[in-house]
Amino acid sequence: MSIFIISSDAREIEENIAEKVVETMGYTLLNRDILATVAAKHQIDADKLSEALKTTPSLFNKLPSQQWRYYLACIEADVLEKLMADNIVCQGLAAHLYVTDVSHAMKVRVLSGNRQGILGVAEKKGISLHKAEKWLASELMQQKKWSLAAYNYDETDLTRYDLVINLDQIDPTEAVKTITGAAEYRKFQVMTYSMKCLSDLALAAKVNGALLKSMADIRVQARDGSVVVLTRASNRQKRKKIETIKELAGSVEGVSYVEVHVKKNILGEIN
Amino acid sequence: MTKPLEVLLLDDEPIVGRRLKPALDKIGCRVEVFQSPKEAVARIDEKEFDIVVTDIRMEEMDGLQVLDHVQKTWPRTKVIMITGYAKVDLAREAMGKGVFDFIAKPFKPDDLRRIIFRAAEALGSPIDSSLLNEEPVAQ
Repeated sequence: MSIFIISSDAREIEENIAEKVVETMGYTLLNRDILATVAAKHQIDADKLSEALKTTPSLFNKLPSQQWRYYLACIEADVLEKLMADNIVCQGLAAHLYVTDVSHAMKVRVLSGNRQGILGVAEKKGISLHKAEKWLASELMQQKKWSLAAYNYDETDLTRYDLVINLDQIDPTEAVKTITGAAEYRKFQVMTYSMKCLSDLALAAKVNGALLKSMADIRVQARDGSVVVLTRASNRQKRKKIETIKELAGSVEGVSYVEVHVKKNILGEIN
Repeated sequence: MTKPLEVLLLDDEPIVGRRLKPALDKIGCRVEVFQSPKEAVARIDEKEFDIVVTDIRMEEMDGLQVLDHVQKTWPRTKVIMITGYAKVDLAREAMGKGVFDFIAKPFKPDDLRRIIFRAAEALGSPIDSSLLNEEPVAQ
């Protein structure tokens, strides 16, 4: 077992559980502490990266969609690169939404539970149980909205996770034991195929980041150094856009070949 | 001189055996190539191989059935799966059933050789890793 990706409907719980798993397993913790490094590398304000992980673009928060996607792409690229190392616990970086089809990455969802969650919020914020319940429901709705906007996945959909633990029923100590015990599952052991899937994802993310810095409407797939970029452009812009993409993507380390597919329609998903 | 690693290579596409056999011969493996799972299984009944490399999707019998047969007959044998239809669920199923490694086609002969090196180490018969070198991709 090499990667645990831990997420929760309550940030504090997610952090605590991840830290305890790290302590027990002796793994490396990958969390929002890396945002400072990511920010320095891409010359972005670290607070903006942190903000991008919780808000969606709007006029109100002066975060244009292209910039938001670029920030997320920078985080994603660095996280995926770090996940190439063994024995990591990842938390707080939305990795459960973009680490897809990597069989040695176990996605764990810890539910704060109605009782524990509401009590915790009421105590922390000094509000009534009723208000705490409302606050939690609105947080959950925000998480759902964010994950759908950012990665087109509903993070509150529990079928997306390999292991789901409800803290209303399982004590946090037992939850940590359950997670660390799952490290023994053969199904989640590293294999050549899963490492290749991860390195393909990491390369696609690097190219995505390089392109999103100056353009929007990009989707990237990578395999063994070959990269396919899907985008859209009008007939007039098409040639120039292909040239720019080939130049930018081709300059990313690890890319040996670039193919660009351009759609003419300006609406809908690129796929 | 150390005893060569005995490898059985099973893939219903003849080109896979043709491409991979010389690559494994080069690192001192003794390779027997099969296209029919039934013939391969009959051979496994006769002889203990160190390593079985098998495709997953085949007509008469799939790779997971071959794995099951190998595990029952020769528990020490390491099984490596190769497939052109790799998916995360299939990879996890194969790992859960005890394959040594799982690799998606197309791959370079060196990718398979790296796995063979690790399998040889796990079997207590390491091979000289300087024998690795890059070659074109096997389809």
